[in-house]
Amino acid sequence: MRLYDIVVLLTPDLSEDEAGKVIGDYRKILTDGGAEMVRDETWGRRKLAYPIGRKRDAYYHHFQVNAQPPIITETERRLKLSDQVLRHLAVRADDELKRAAKAAERQKRKAARRPPRPAPVPAEAAPAEIPIPERSE
Amino acid sequence: MAAMPQRGGSREREGKPTGRKKFFVRRRKVCKFCAEKLEYVDWKDVKLLQSFIPERGKILPRRISGTCALHQRKLQTAIKRARSIALLPYVTD
Repeated sequence: MRLYDIVVLLTPDLSEDEAGKVIGDYRKILTDGGAEMVRDETWGRRKLAYPIGRKRDAYYHHFQVNAQPPIITETERRLKLSDQVLRHLAVRADDELKRAAKAAERQKRKAARRPPRPAPVPAEAAPAEIPIPERSE
Repeated sequence: MAAMPQRGGSREREGKPTGRKKFFVRRRKVCKFCAEKLEYVDWKDVKLLQSFIPERGKILPRRISGTCALHQRKLQTAIKRARSIALLPYVTD
């Protein structure tokens, strides 16, 4: 299982309810394929940063799922086929997040190791700072 | 270009009064992501990414923002992803 972020943009020609229904279809494809929903949020109708196919805004929806790769391929294939989907983006997220967690861990360990050293540093730094304002005045 | 690393750009020098010789205080730039301990640069966070996009829509260079190499690379992919789903512009004029 891998973690994926999927963002879908739907045409503004749909009504709010219709958009919800279309999103529901994709949710069903994902969950039927054995994907486990982590996050499922609608951002609502947003202005696009640039027009796509003469459209100036779109309904945004974000899924975050834990899934096997084939399900994502299938969902993407269907997203590409649909006329109601202006654009979509599916990106794997777990590797990046894992690396971030590791880096955070490393920082924490470093911070825990550091304390004994900083104590003498301010004592040296403080006198060094005094001459500077004198020179500038 | 060659003189830039030592002098830090001519713009700042012109702005300062000329009385002081070769001495001016410049704030040290710190990588925003390192400072706030943000390891993961989220491409869905428009507000964060927008702060690295000047009016023109280009990606703010490291030389100006002070972002470290690692985070600039992550920021770059995040901005490009956000652009592809129209969260951010490719160009603005």
